[in-house]
Amino acid sequence: MSEVQRRKYSQEERSAVFDGEFMPHIDSMYNFAFRLTFDEDDAKDLVQDTYMKAFRFINSFEQGTNAKAWLFRILKNSFINDYRKKSKKPAMVDYQEVETFYNSDDVDYQSTSDLRAESVRDMLGDEISNALNGLAVDFRTVIILADLEGFTYEEMAKILDIPIGTVRSRLHRARHLLKDTLKSYAQSMGYGRDEEED
Amino acid sequence: MAGTKRRIKRLAMENNDAPSPERKLQCSDVSKCFQLLERILDGELVEEGKEMLQEKLDRCQPCFEHFHLEQAIREVLKTKCTKQPLPDKLAESIRQMIQDAR
Repeated sequence: MSEVQRRKYSQEERSAVFDGEFMPHIDSMYNFAFRLTFDEDDAKDLVQDTYMKAFRFINSFEQGTNAKAWLFRILKNSFINDYRKKSKKPAMVDYQEVETFYNSDDVDYQSTSDLRAESVRDMLGDEISNALNGLAVDFRTVIILADLEGFTYEEMAKILDIPIGTVRSRLHRARHLLKDTLKSYAQSMGYGRDEEED
Repeated sequence: MAGTKRRIKRLAMENNDAPSPERKLQCSDVSKCFQLLERILDGELVEEGKEMLQEKLDRCQPCFEHFHLEQAIREVLKTKCTKQPLPDKLAESIRQMIQDAR
């Protein structure tokens, strides 16, 4: 586990790691890529590039460690380095900018307090998906990693190269922004909570 | 991890009844409580989380509602946002690229 200079994989081992540990994650990888780029061709290229890099740097992957997290980290870095630069989409805000802009943990809980679990469950896939896609990329990313893919805070910290505390606060804020959008959907569908008598 | 999340879910389902008269209607520290509940739902705070969760679900209506809302959101995200169909030949073309690179 802790050897600094790991021996190189043989040809057969490389194939075994690639097919056995990398390829099974292709659906999750594509879903992530698509939700970052919103474009099928870009997502395809991003996934292909990621797998090429994974193959090229396979010796720095330690068998038995978390292949999915390792692959997601490569994909996220490729996205930042290769795709984000050429994108003109307004949602593509810089990670750092977002953090400085929203540097507080405080959110306005009152604004989403009348959103109910039942109305969320009644929403269509498209509505949920659109709400997620409407988030700035940094917020979208943490929700994808945590809720769609089930990564732990520690894994997310490694994938995103940020401290765990930042993962936690970014996720909390992302969820709040998502609820804000869901609430406006719920209201437009007439799911608003009846005024309570007091 | 997954086992913990299932246990928490079961715990929450057992408590998924109508608002209890014993729950207080105002939460004294919404910000702290809600962040805590979210961490528990995320599978962090495994051991210390269980008791706190039970306490909050039993005693505090805003915490109870927030917990169930957060849980519903996680469920719909997981079931409705992970089905992006993989393009037909993507896996095949990746395998081919790797073959060629060898």
